Amino acid sequence: MTLTIAIVGSAQPSAHRVDEYLQASRLAIDPRGVQIELDLTPGIALAEAIIAEIDRNRDGSPSADEQRAYASLVLHGLEVAVDGRPLPVQLGSIRFADNDAMRRGEGTIQVQASVTLPDLDIGAHQLRFRNNHHPHGSVYLANALVPESDAVGVTAQRRDPDQRELTIDYELRAVPAPSTVAWLLASFAAASMLSVFLIAAVHPVTALKTWRARRKPGLLR
Amino acid sequence: MRPPARIAPIIGLAYVLAIAAADRPQRGAASSTASHATASDATARIVASAQALLATLDDAGRARVQFPLEGPQKTRWSNLPSGIFQREGLRLGDLTPAQRSSVMSLLSAALSRDGYRKVTDIMRGDEVLRTTASAPGRGPGAGQGRGGGGGGPVTFGEAEYYLAFVGTPSVTEPWMLQFGGHHLAINLTLAGRQASMAPSLPAAQPASYTVEGRTVRPLGNENDKAFALINALDDTQRTQAVLGYRVSDLVLGPGQDGRTIQPEGIRASALSAAQQSMLLDLAREWAGITNDAFAEPRVEEIRTNLPQTYFAWSGPTTNGSAAYFRIQGPTLVIEYAPQRGIDHIHTIYRDPTNDYGAKFTRK
Repeated sequence: MTLTIAIVGSAQPSAHRVDEYLQASRLAIDPRGVQIELDLTPGIALAEAIIAEIDRNRDGSPSADEQRAYASLVLHGLEVAVDGRPLPVQLGSIRFADNDAMRRGEGTIQVQASVTLPDLDIGAHQLRFRNNHHPHGSVYLANALVPESDAVGVTAQRRDPDQRELTIDYELRAVPAPSTVAWLLASFAAASMLSVFLIAAVHPVTALKTWRARRKPGLLR
Repeated sequence: MRPPARIAPIIGLAYVLAIAAADRPQRGAASSTASHATASDATARIVASAQALLATLDDAGRARVQFPLEGPQKTRWSNLPSGIFQREGLRLGDLTPAQRSSVMSLLSAALSRDGYRKVTDIMRGDEVLRTTASAPGRGPGAGQGRGGGGGGPVTFGEAEYYLAFVGTPSVTEPWMLQFGGHHLAINLTLAGRQASMAPSLPAAQPASYTVEGRTVRPLGNENDKAFALINALDDTQRTQAVLGYRVSDLVLGPGQDGRTIQPEGIRASALSAAQQSMLLDLAREWAGITNDAFAEPRVEEIRTNLPQTYFAWSGPTTNGSAAYFRIQGPTLVIEYAPQRGIDHIHTIYRDPTNDYGAKFTRK
């Protein structure tokens, strides 16, 4: 088929991210800590500057140490606080896209980090997360993941208009420990079995009384 | 004993309702059986089309299209063009016209009429982009030639779509039909009468183009139905639906398998019946891409979960503006994310409980 084609509107040449640094954060809260996943994707126009920040000796090949140093720099820009109490962020695993992919605006730096939470009371708490890394030219996504633990329930999320800052209201709930649950189940099973024995013990007597009553004169049909 | 005259109508009504209730499971079962038969027929037609395609290939072609069910290919997909992301499988540009026709027949069997149109409109849009625009970081003329994978030349257009079978096409056993390229990833997992098209990524750039005088908007229905819905909400509802922050990209795009974000926006239970219908009709734009035999039960599942489903919006509410929206329920995540304007759209369709057919492929 012969195509006669024209783009309508303001089509731009393949509009992959150009002059923005996309920083996507996902936070998973459990009773003991917070897992933070960061995906950092520099646009084409920013790639060389970011690569230069990573490849400090300018040898064209970022080393593992240089990558780890950059990830530490990223974490240095994070603020995490629970109930107003600032908490340190520990670096976990990192994964860097190659420089060519970053130069095309599609290479992502993945950083995993964690925060250890202090012992918190059952009830309402608030986690505040702020990303100050590379504030100029960055766009942000920040989201709470649905907690895997039944002991945690997210009740609200609030953000600033750019999503640099995310405040998560959550509840810490009393969830029976597995051993408690097992104990309760065992108790229930034992009580059920005892009931069965009691019924079995009582039932023959009841049946016998009924039989005797039926043998009384006047009650026979 | 005869019932008093005044309660007789009540008893009569109860009798009618009881008969209706007793009849309902039977009719449901009959309908379900019919739907099973239809779904099984659809799978049989898809498998027959897949086998017809395989018959047109030589040994090398068959080896190229076939992947093990539990290998890495299952989750290897992207919205990115070749050269940035390396796809595996049969490349359309390497096929003979007859083989390419077999691929399109297979897609026609696997997808609904609207779904097939959407997929081909996205592919044609990518060809428009190739012939009229530059590739990322390259001058005019980019998009030509063969994609070399990561580090190779950036390549897109109608020739740069790939087909793969993950698992062996079967009318009973699980397998997956993968089809994708720049701005498109279809992952259709089939297992007998069951199917899941999650996760899939229909996207578009340009979002509007003309072919032989006809305007084509691959994701136009999605855009227009969403704007109609947000504008059908009253002020109170809109306050709940509209997020007070900018969302510049997909949150659960490629590489985000297995993650579930906390839902936000307005809960569908706070919508009127008419607004709920509009929301369901919007979700159908994604759920209905697959063959009708699989789409209908999927839409019913979404309808059942509607009270626990949320609709969230970020951006202006005037059609023609760039606005992000998300539909999220127990078995559904849909995101629609314009990329720096209205002419480049990314979307994602997921089922947190059944991505890659997890429900029916789990051992």
